[in-house]
Amino acid sequence: MKTLFQTKLGALLIAALLVGGSAAAANAQGSRLQLSTLDHLATKASQSVDVNIDEKLMRIASTALSNEDADEREIKKLVAGIKGIYVRSFEFETGGQYTNADLETIRTQLRGPGWTRLLNVMSKKEGNLEVYLLMNGEQIGGLAVLGTQDRELIVVNIVGPVDLEKLAKLEGQFGVPDLGIEPAKSKKNDDK
Amino acid sequence: MLTNRFRNIAVVLLMLIVTSMIQAKGDDFKSVVKMIEQFYGVKHEGIPFLAKAGLKAARTAARIKGGTAKRLAEAGTVKLAVFENQEFAGELMKFRSTLNAALTETWLPLVQTLSATNQEQTYVFLREAGQKYDVLVVTIEPRDATVVQVTLSPKHVALLMKDPEGTGKAITEEATIVDPE
Repeated sequence: MKTLFQTKLGALLIAALLVGGSAAAANAQGSRLQLSTLDHLATKASQSVDVNIDEKLMRIASTALSNEDADEREIKKLVAGIKGIYVRSFEFETGGQYTNADLETIRTQLRGPGWTRLLNVMSKKEGNLEVYLLMNGEQIGGLAVLGTQDRELIVVNIVGPVDLEKLAKLEGQFGVPDLGIEPAKSKKNDDK
Repeated sequence: MLTNRFRNIAVVLLMLIVTSMIQAKGDDFKSVVKMIEQFYGVKHEGIPFLAKAGLKAARTAARIKGGTAKRLAEAGTVKLAVFENQEFAGELMKFRSTLNAALTETWLPLVQTLSATNQEQTYVFLREAGQKYDVLVVTIEPRDATVVQVTLSPKHVALLMKDPEGTGKAITEEATIVDPE
């Protein structure tokens, strides 16, 4: 027969699991940005690219590839733990096609709880590059990049544990455009 | 006796439901072709080279891997519809919304590329097909369009994701280039 202590302990464990599970789910949800606010820019862009690789597709990449083939092993390692890659990029023939209000729809989300902007991220490319990490305690829960040039706008959102080194490796793959990131020269700063 | 008859009717009904569900899932290719025809007021051409296209899908699978003839056998089925020398002008966003609305229930939109200045659109969708995956590529240019559906193994899908834009184009190119006999 169970004692009252055992029953309470069981209930507490279940409650803790439920809270932990929902917190993890909320965090995964929180690291996914709403990018559809930029969709209207496609009508003005000379080229727009919209990439959506969700958790299900990421799982294929990590399970279907072989460990024996060196290239495939490398890809598996790269995407391990990543739950989604979402990209919107726009190239315009002339400047002034996107507004600060367009950027604010993204930045507002990145001012949410857990998001931290990384300062001093160096890029070989011209223009402004803002890189944000979503911290879940000590762990990285997601990453976002907002890249702006006069005639170009790029938003990259990666859900899951990804640092700048991994981001640099992902450039040119899985729909992540060439951002020219130089991870070694970056440092973290909590100021926004 | 009566129970047996009811059971038989139930089995037949169940089979009809399952068949219609499978057909509904498989008919998306035709629906997309029809949707393009209605949206732009165009007509697709017959596909006399379907068998040839099958061979090309095999080659596409190999190209995704960047590999050899050994992998040709891994390719699955292919469906192809071609629209040539017709007008596909304007309404990029409206077409995109219509296409997405028609497919996103069963297909995952992997990559969508639009060029308002060149009036070009490319869409790559994915869906599960048993152990494999169906890949649907819709390419629309000002005067031509193609709809290609190929079935790929999970490994090829993984490699497709590695270069979603490039592979989407490769699938269309491979399926539509006719080799000199």
